Amino acid sequence: MIRFLLVPTTALLLCGAGLAGCTGVQPWERGILAKPHMALERYPLPEKFTGHNHGSREAAAGTGSAGGGGCGCY
Amino acid sequence: MAATERPQSPRSSALQALNTAALALPGLLLASAQAAEEDVSFQYGHYQESNRELYEVRSRFRPIEVESLQGMARLKFTDRLKFTANYTQDTWSGATPIATAPLSFRGNRDRGIISGATPNLQNGEVYFDKQFRPLRQDAVTGALRRDDRLVHTLSSASPETRKQGDFRLGYEWDEAALTVGGGTSVEHDYESNFGNLGGRFDFNRKLTTLNLNLSYTASSTRALLDHDATPYIQRTTYGNRVEVRSDGSQILRGSRDDWAGTVGLTQVLTKSSLAEVLFGYTHARGYLANPYKVVEVAFVDPDQTPGASGELRGETLAFLERRPNTRDQWTASLRYVLHVDPLDAALHLNYGYFHDSWGIDAHTFQADWVQPLGSGWTVTPRVRYYSQDGADFYHPYLISRQAANKVVLDDAGNVRVIPYDPRRLPDAYSSDHRLSGYGALSGGITVSKEFARGFTLIADAEYYSHAGSLKLGGGGEGAYSDFNYYAVNATLKVNLDALSSAQPWQGGHEHHGAHHPIHHGGHAPAGVMFNHMLSEPGAMMVGYRYMYGHQAGGMLRGSGGIGDAALVALGCGGEPCYVTPTQMGMHMHMLDLMYAPTGWLNLMLMPQFVDMHMFMRPLAGAPEAADPGTAAAVIHANHEHTTGGVGDTGMYALFKLLDSGGHHLHATLGVSAPTGDVGIRLRDTHRQQLGFIHYGMQLGTGTWDFKPSLTYTGRNGDWSWGAQLSGTKRLEDRNESGFAFGDSFQSTAWGSYSVLDWLSASVRGVYTVRGSLAGAYNGPYHRIGPMDYGASYGGRYWDLGLGLTAVVPDGALQGNRFSFEWIQPLHDDVNGYQLPRDVGLAATWSYGF
Repeated sequence: MIRFLLVPTTALLLCGAGLAGCTGVQPWERGILAKPHMALERYPLPEKFTGHNHGSREAAAGTGSAGGGGCGCY
Repeated sequence: MAATERPQSPRSSALQALNTAALALPGLLLASAQAAEEDVSFQYGHYQESNRELYEVRSRFRPIEVESLQGMARLKFTDRLKFTANYTQDTWSGATPIATAPLSFRGNRDRGIISGATPNLQNGEVYFDKQFRPLRQDAVTGALRRDDRLVHTLSSASPETRKQGDFRLGYEWDEAALTVGGGTSVEHDYESNFGNLGGRFDFNRKLTTLNLNLSYTASSTRALLDHDATPYIQRTTYGNRVEVRSDGSQILRGSRDDWAGTVGLTQVLTKSSLAEVLFGYTHARGYLANPYKVVEVAFVDPDQTPGASGELRGETLAFLERRPNTRDQWTASLRYVLHVDPLDAALHLNYGYFHDSWGIDAHTFQADWVQPLGSGWTVTPRVRYYSQDGADFYHPYLISRQAANKVVLDDAGNVRVIPYDPRRLPDAYSSDHRLSGYGALSGGITVSKEFARGFTLIADAEYYSHAGSLKLGGGGEGAYSDFNYYAVNATLKVNLDALSSAQPWQGGHEHHGAHHPIHHGGHAPAGVMFNHMLSEPGAMMVGYRYMYGHQAGGMLRGSGGIGDAALVALGCGGEPCYVTPTQMGMHMHMLDLMYAPTGWLNLMLMPQFVDMHMFMRPLAGAPEAADPGTAAAVIHANHEHTTGGVGDTGMYALFKLLDSGGHHLHATLGVSAPTGDVGIRLRDTHRQQLGFIHYGMQLGTGTWDFKPSLTYTGRNGDWSWGAQLSGTKRLEDRNESGFAFGDSFQSTAWGSYSVLDWLSASVRGVYTVRGSLAGAYNGPYHRIGPMDYGASYGGRYWDLGLGLTAVVPDGALQGNRFSFEWIQPLHDDVNGYQLPRDVGLAATWSYGF
């Protein structure tokens, strides 16, 4: 499965290095990317609430960052 | 990087284009935790789980529900230095699984009638066939028949509250950022402290962003084990982790450390798409189990002589679950965001992979469609699918092929009992369904509306379905563990950047003829509600109000003290008192939303969230309670009692009566709607139904209340003063639980002086009368102390308030008003027998525009 993710990772790295032809976006061409609905985190509080519900009911709660969240003992 | 999000006027479209370009820099766009916005958000959320499948047993307990409150402030100290603070509190109550067992073990039976909080964990004799499959005995004929059905054993909990505060401080360079954060989460049996360090680096003309994050969490468990269950729970495999105290109660202690790191790479792919890959690793070490989950073990002696139908007899014992002491978790996720030009929508696709050293592999797929609809509306439907394998040590229950207690004759012919060998049990075992194999499908929708002047309302709903049959590739847990939940939340976000650029104070929030915002330092003290009006038509105000009241000390009768012996004899209306409260505390969080349709009429909405706690102690000289239910309630009083959730909601209209020179008079008419729960009950214990919690611990009044008030304020130069008369009249005799709090009346007067042009200090006197409580609970409850009698509610109270009010005159927080008041009780003359009040606090933040 990790191998499956290596493909896009490699592609992104190549892309970042300017080798994959996807870096031609000029600063004045980033209007669409700046739209609020393109942001990776759009609604911080609702997303945190939903994430906490998932985290208290699913084993894959460890997301790699410490955020407290309590025992989840219930 | 000094980009601003302040709205531009239409004429500066060139500037807007440049600004948009600046915003498009990945650093701002992608790391929204460090976004340039300055805002304050409040959120209320509710989580409600469905009933579990219990077959023929009907549980009279509500499934678990959670009330949640969150607040967040994101502020800029300078253009480069940013600060985020969060506060979260959750209160949950209801029934959850404690164990799993074959239906034939009858774990949910309670005296054969009801299912309750008192689970049957030790089920005596159980039967299996030769292949160790469970057999069920017919209650009438006694015949044994194979029955493979499993069922959760449910246990119910009294309300409990968790509180968390955390912060993050970030510094931005042109092509990098550094953040440091930390926080703490506290509940009565679990505490967690955490810190994190993050870095962001932009490359490649900001088309590529690298994010690194490292965090550490230290947590400790101090769980009081359920005294109903402990006699039936084996601790033999738990070493000295469980401490047995002199009163027989058992405390489980544990601690754990979690180290976590993530590496993320975000890449702009095209003018309308971007992608992110994120890898994470977490190492956890220490006590990683859940102290409230047990595993049923059926001990079956394989050497026994089978019964008449060939059945094997077994005996069940319950063991606290055991998990490995370490857990390594790896995550990898891929996100892709694509702008769909024809619809001006954004499609967000997310895949996450999870693997851990417990043998769990999990996959998450999510798709969000973000559709702006114009006029500030955005609708985001989403769908999510999650699937996980079970942990290596997950078992719904265990069968151990040995006798629980084997009776043998030794060489000398003496009878000996050989207990089970705990070494023949696995090293780790859990029947927590969260470690089982299953899938979950959920769908949700987020609707947001951005109003003028930087207000945004966000409503979100999700429905979630957990089922073994939904597991990817099949082979999930049985249908007995299936459940659903729904969760809803509503968020109010106030964008301070947008507000301050709209020159807030010129639009309204003025009175007394003041023309400069700092004159608002002359406002009434923080503890006075409805203390001002917005005078400009169309003006709005948003505020947050916090109030705290605490009672502690020796009990009062009227205004004098009373000892234990007298309290036992007199405090409970002819019956003996068994316990007395020693401390009670109440936190109230209120939102003030105010709008002025005209200069003479203001409308106000005030939702609130409350949480309360109470400690009690046994009274010296109290008799033993004869009634077993009352006796159980007395024992339960050794625990802290807590409640929390949405309180009553106030709706008010303020009418200006006089506004001339330095004098202002207005009347407020309003009602309080009974949105707070008045049906909260304690969990059953000792096989007794404890019923309703004490009246004062309910979250609302349960009645529609009429709340009029009359407020006068005046000012002259640096001095201001005011007075207010206010009352509460219950509009109903009884609420749905059978009682009504008494009416109340309050009068207060204050004076205030502007010490500095942005700071004023106030002194206030308060007199309050409250009536006693009428009626009584119309369902089961036990009267164990004075607080369970209506006659011991209300009284006459005198207080002194000392306050400070600051209005930020300029800078990033210009126009924000902060006010604080210490309310010192001077004299209590209580009805009946009550705790004295020892302190009150009021704090407000408000922003008008």
